[in-house]
Amino acid sequence: MNKIAREVETQMSKAGEGAGTVISGRLVGKTFANGAVVALEGASFDIAQGDFVSLVGPSGCGKSTLLRMVAGLIERTSGTLTVHGEPVKGPRRDVGLMFQKATLLDWRTSLENVLLPTEMVRKPTQADEDEAIALLNMVGLKDFVFSFPSQLSGGMQQRVALARLLKTGADILLLDEPFGALDEFTRERLNLELMRIVAEVKATTLFVTHNIGEAIFLADKVMVMTPRPGRLARMVEVPFARPRPAELQLTPEFNALVAEVRDILGTH
Amino acid sequence: MALAADMAPDAARLKWRRRGNHAAIFLGLLALWQGGSSAGLLDPLFFPAPLDILASFWRIYVSQGNVWYHLYVSLSLVLAGFTAGSILGVGLGAVVGMNATVRRFLQPYVIVLEATPRIAVAPLLIAALGFGPQSKIAIIMLVCFFAPFINTLSGVINVNRDRMELMRSLGASKMQMLRKLVLPDAIPVIMAGERLAMTSALSGVLVAEFIQRDQGIGALILTYTRNLNMASAFACILTLTAIGFLIFKGMEMVDHHVAYWKNETGMKRMTEKRARVWAGRRGGVAHA
Repeated sequence: MNKIAREVETQMSKAGEGAGTVISGRLVGKTFANGAVVALEGASFDIAQGDFVSLVGPSGCGKSTLLRMVAGLIERTSGTLTVHGEPVKGPRRDVGLMFQKATLLDWRTSLENVLLPTEMVRKPTQADEDEAIALLNMVGLKDFVFSFPSQLSGGMQQRVALARLLKTGADILLLDEPFGALDEFTRERLNLELMRIVAEVKATTLFVTHNIGEAIFLADKVMVMTPRPGRLARMVEVPFARPRPAELQLTPEFNALVAEVRDILGTH
Repeated sequence: MALAADMAPDAARLKWRRRGNHAAIFLGLLALWQGGSSAGLLDPLFFPAPLDILASFWRIYVSQGNVWYHLYVSLSLVLAGFTAGSILGVGLGAVVGMNATVRRFLQPYVIVLEATPRIAVAPLLIAALGFGPQSKIAIIMLVCFFAPFINTLSGVINVNRDRMELMRSLGASKMQMLRKLVLPDAIPVIMAGERLAMTSALSGVLVAEFIQRDQGIGALILTYTRNLNMASAFACILTLTAIGFLIFKGMEMVDHHVAYWKNETGMKRMTEKRARVWAGRRGGVAHA
């Protein structure tokens, strides 16, 4: 370990001790092809317990890469990254992930798909089933408990994926453009529901999107990222009180913030 | 709705008229064939008369009743060879598919073996295993092995990347990955391989019995042909047509059942079943 890395380590341990910090990154970087392609360059950030943080930026800014590193699905090439104070080494059970595609198992009913995370740990009990059904209720799929994925619309499939994510019991939720493949109306409705549900389960949330309005509307903080090489440009605080009505997006204050973020993205 | 109600009788009438047309054409051809045979225009060596074939059916199935034994022998071999060959194919396919190193080393051999016509090896198998059912079963195993093997292999290799990542993010072990994702995901492809294998099994048993013509439906066809009893040979062949058709339909049914999520009726059936099981366990009311 070289001198800089050691320095970073000390810095990090100080930061990690900060009150309520759940995810902490110091100069987190990722290169591909032996350093030829820089996907993410030295990102440093702290995310507090219960925060909803959006990662916004154009394609190639490294936002999905960063999310996958937090999830422990890919290894970082530099820097330190901790979750609950422990360096990330691989997938953790207290970190749940949701993708743009619902990625359900076609041969399983909604209920069985939601029970999948539990099956990794133990044989699901009646209590687990009850919980899964309650989650399906929560995401509005009361009448589709025993339906198969291909019988559901895209939006409904994402709802099942969301219920499955919640069934992991993870207190950190990583969402990679979860409703990106859906139409505008469905996406907006699901975003509203997501806000409600996340507040209800009191999870810390990282939400990747390339839609600035969506990023601001949902989040307490917005990590604005710029491409080539991927870089964390700025962390923007979102001051609006919760619960937030959909109409918030029409106010001048909201649009001023959208313009600010667009400026940051534009100047890079 | 009113429209559908108006359409329904028309559609039904059309369907029956079509069936009637088919039957008329078929009977017409048969009559022509019979007429040609009676008039001596058709060589009975190539085209035994339909009525003669019908008489042969009666003889081999009823009055003489000799076909039953041979059918029993052949179909037992088919069942044994198919089961052994396809289990071996699926098992080996899964092992090879799951292990990158094994796959790399075996791949060239698989390609070479796949390019070799399987039937060509049949005489060698008989030489190695001797006359008797064991070498016949080996031949059937050989023709039944490859389709399930190749399909299982490709099914296991081509597992959806996103689903792999999902399972990894859930902390799945290698065994859980195999049981909960890889194998179920490969089932439709494996079943397609099994369907192919089952069809090959029928050809396989015939080849085996043509080579060792002691018993079985293949041997029977050979005997009848040598005695120039073409009508009886035809009756045997038509029997095989029927069996082939039944096998095809049967495998289709099994496929629909096993890969239930690939068809609407299958999913509907499973939805009802799961809801019923759940309700039964809870002593409550079905949920869906």
